[in-house]
Amino acid sequence: MTKKDVSWKVQKMMELLPPKLSRQVVLSLVSCVHCGMCNEACHYVKSIPDDPKMTPSYKADQLRKIFKANHDWTGRVAPKWVGAKTPITEEDLEELKDIAFGTCTNCRRCTYNCPMGVDTATVNRVMRGLLTRVGVMPEGVWAVSKDSWEIGNQMGVLMEDYQETLEWISEELVDELGDEKAAIPIDKKNANIVYTVNPREVKYDPRTITNAAMIFYAAGEDWTMPSFGWDQTNFGLFSGDDVMGGNIYKHLEEKFKELSGNLLVISECGHGYRSTRCEGPNWSATPQDFRMESSVTTMLRYIKEGKIKVDKTKNTEKVTFHDSCNNARSCGLYEEPRELLELVTTDFQEMYPNRQENYCCTGGGGAMSMAEYTPRRLKSGKIKAEQLAATGAKIVVTSCHNCVDGLGDLIKHYKLDMEVKQLVDLVAEALVMEKPAEVPEEKPAEAATLAGYKILVVDDEPDMRTFLSTVFEDNGASVIEAADGEQALTLAKSEKPSLVTLDLSMPGKDGGEVYASIRQDPQLAKLPVCIVTGRPELRKLIYDRDVPRPEGYLDKPVSEKDILVNARKILDLSE
Amino acid sequence: MEGNLLHTAEVVHWAALAFMGVVYTIRLIWLLKFKAGGDKQLPGDQGRTDLGPAMYSMANVVMPWAMESTRKGMFFYLTFALFHLGVTVGIFLAIFSSLLPTFFADQNVAYAIMAILGLAGLVGFGRILRRLVRPVMRLISTPDDYFSVTILTVWMFIGVACQAHLAGLVNNTNYLIAYLFATSFFLVYVPFSKISHYLYYPFIRYYIGKTLGHRGSVLPQKG
Ligand code: SF4
Ligand code: SF4
Repeated sequence: MTKKDVSWKVQKMMELLPPKLSRQVVLSLVSCVHCGMCNEACHYVKSIPDDPKMTPSYKADQLRKIFKANHDWTGRVAPKWVGAKTPITEEDLEELKDIAFGTCTNCRRCTYNCPMGVDTATVNRVMRGLLTRVGVMPEGVWAVSKDSWEIGNQMGVLMEDYQETLEWISEELVDELGDEKAAIPIDKKNANIVYTVNPREVKYDPRTITNAAMIFYAAGEDWTMPSFGWDQTNFGLFSGDDVMGGNIYKHLEEKFKELSGNLLVISECGHGYRSTRCEGPNWSATPQDFRMESSVTTMLRYIKEGKIKVDKTKNTEKVTFHDSCNNARSCGLYEEPRELLELVTTDFQEMYPNRQENYCCTGGGGAMSMAEYTPRRLKSGKIKAEQLAATGAKIVVTSCHNCVDGLGDLIKHYKLDMEVKQLVDLVAEALVMEKPAEVPEEKPAEAATLAGYKILVVDDEPDMRTFLSTVFEDNGASVIEAADGEQALTLAKSEKPSLVTLDLSMPGKDGGEVYASIRQDPQLAKLPVCIVTGRPELRKLIYDRDVPRPEGYLDKPVSEKDILVNARKILDLSE
Repeated sequence: MEGNLLHTAEVVHWAALAFMGVVYTIRLIWLLKFKAGGDKQLPGDQGRTDLGPAMYSMANVVMPWAMESTRKGMFFYLTFALFHLGVTVGIFLAIFSSLLPTFFADQNVAYAIMAILGLAGLVGFGRILRRLVRPVMRLISTPDDYFSVTILTVWMFIGVACQAHLAGLVNNTNYLIAYLFATSFFLVYVPFSKISHYLYYPFIRYYIGKTLGHRGSVLPQKG
């Protein structure tokens, strides 16, 4: 075999590979022991068990073979022995394309099930990136990438169409709410929030923008949408093209800085959130120096801070929640959407498995744009369809537009009796629009009336106990204090407080145990509890237990206003 | 004659150990030449920048409850643990057989080591069958995968015979000689095979734990 026999595309790919070989990638390439333990983790395997090529390690082996043949001495010395091989022809590359794009959604479920920690999803993305750079990719990926480069967003939405859409949404909102202030501000400088969306919202689902605008209005938020750099999605994540990924991220960053915003809020989109929040700074090699968050976090904060009021009885149908792979497994957004759901719906049912073990919707990894693989994609969704059906829910909620489409397709294909919604829809439905909102002033008076209530403050830090007790007492409540879990339970029984604020990290009985004891004691089960913790990762102490959720949840440091508003709200609701 | 052969086997065995050490050092230097990717984004809302997530990730091997694959495959996990315990005990036996003869002569110690090596060998045998029989395993297995598990399995069974000899249960120095030669071969082969995965384990686990921990997605979640 001479160099001449090898396709130029292959040669180019071999040149492009070295810069992609970070230590992490190399470790994933050399560490697989072919134990097969990741096999059952993949939804393709679960749903198409007769095809061994669906197993994750086979997919990662495609790049592993190339790496071994070109960069690892074992592969150079004894290629057949260790399975080293370089593709030769363009047919070989077509085969690699079908594997990398058509049998893996880069969902990362196998990564979490590999005892070695091999990141098959990342390896597969590297393979996609190499293929994309030499023009070997599904047509849909090519079309979307082209739009991203040329027009600046992945659906080719022209600037005038975008602006027109926002204008008519604004007109409708102003009509509906009877207030000029309900219009969407575009390119407003120095706004607190710069809101970015998925082009799918502009093109096919503007209702989500309307709902978000309504929520911002109700919260009295100082916000804006940019005229350019508004697409928070990023096909670089799916095509594996870091150059494009970094470029798209830069559009957002530059526009945000031009507008001098305070916080970039990313609408509900899994891959958009991951690309912008977790990958963009790495692709573009620019350290993140401004704040951004998911709109799920924003909406949750509004409710917790009392900026918007919601009535959960407006959403009484049974709902379940689907974790987007990118939001959850790759970006840690696990609990916020659940907390929000608990606040805006009355009948929330977890699906199993969930969180980092949830199954992909089948629409991840850009699969919705690859029509040639649709039959296999739908087949791979069998396990997801079974998981959805088992919940008995009428609505599956998700925080991702790809998941909306992926799940929608599965619901149709497997004839499930349910519909897909996003959190922004449910929050908007539950919204109580009392009066046209103003930018909220400090409203201590509203929160000040705690007279007649007895509050048990549980915290092992004396300073924190003193702070909380003083705030409550200054607002009329009587306060009892406990420095540990045992004392807390004794006082809860003897003093019968109206509310408990509970720290999670305490010596001896931790907050999780105390909380479970409260919920399991028939005398105390209905006692409202607000968790106040400085260690959000300890939420698992609560969520790992099979007990109802706490009524409130605050992260330390907590402001006087936050604690008062929350205490008042919990007490109101408990009455 | 046997005495000379035993002496040669011991010398070869120590030389093989030194060779493995050298090749591993080269391998690690090679690995560290690849630049580690870093996080330029701020930590996730629930993210952590301390060593906790990396440590948690590294402890994965002793936390079968942490992964669905081990939770649902508890028998597989237990056999995995037994097999790796067998490898550890086998290496201990090879290194210390000449240094601690009275320890290995103890009957209780001998039976315990033989039981561990024998059972681990059986697990190895089961793994070879699994690789041969299951289409998925056949598809992903390289010759090195078959060979690695086979030499380890054979080595463990020779180890049983060697330990029996050291405890005086059988009297045949050839078992010890064979075991030392088998170990030497194994030590020389390991750095070129997939058996060296244990060298990478702390590194790969550290990085995946650190990366996902920075984003707040690695710590245990309700399943
Ligand atoms: S990726 Fe991990 S679980 Fe899968 S075969 Fe390789 S080592 Fe085993
Ligand atoms: S990343 Fe997801 S789709 Fe791809 S092989 Fe792993 S589990 Fe399967």
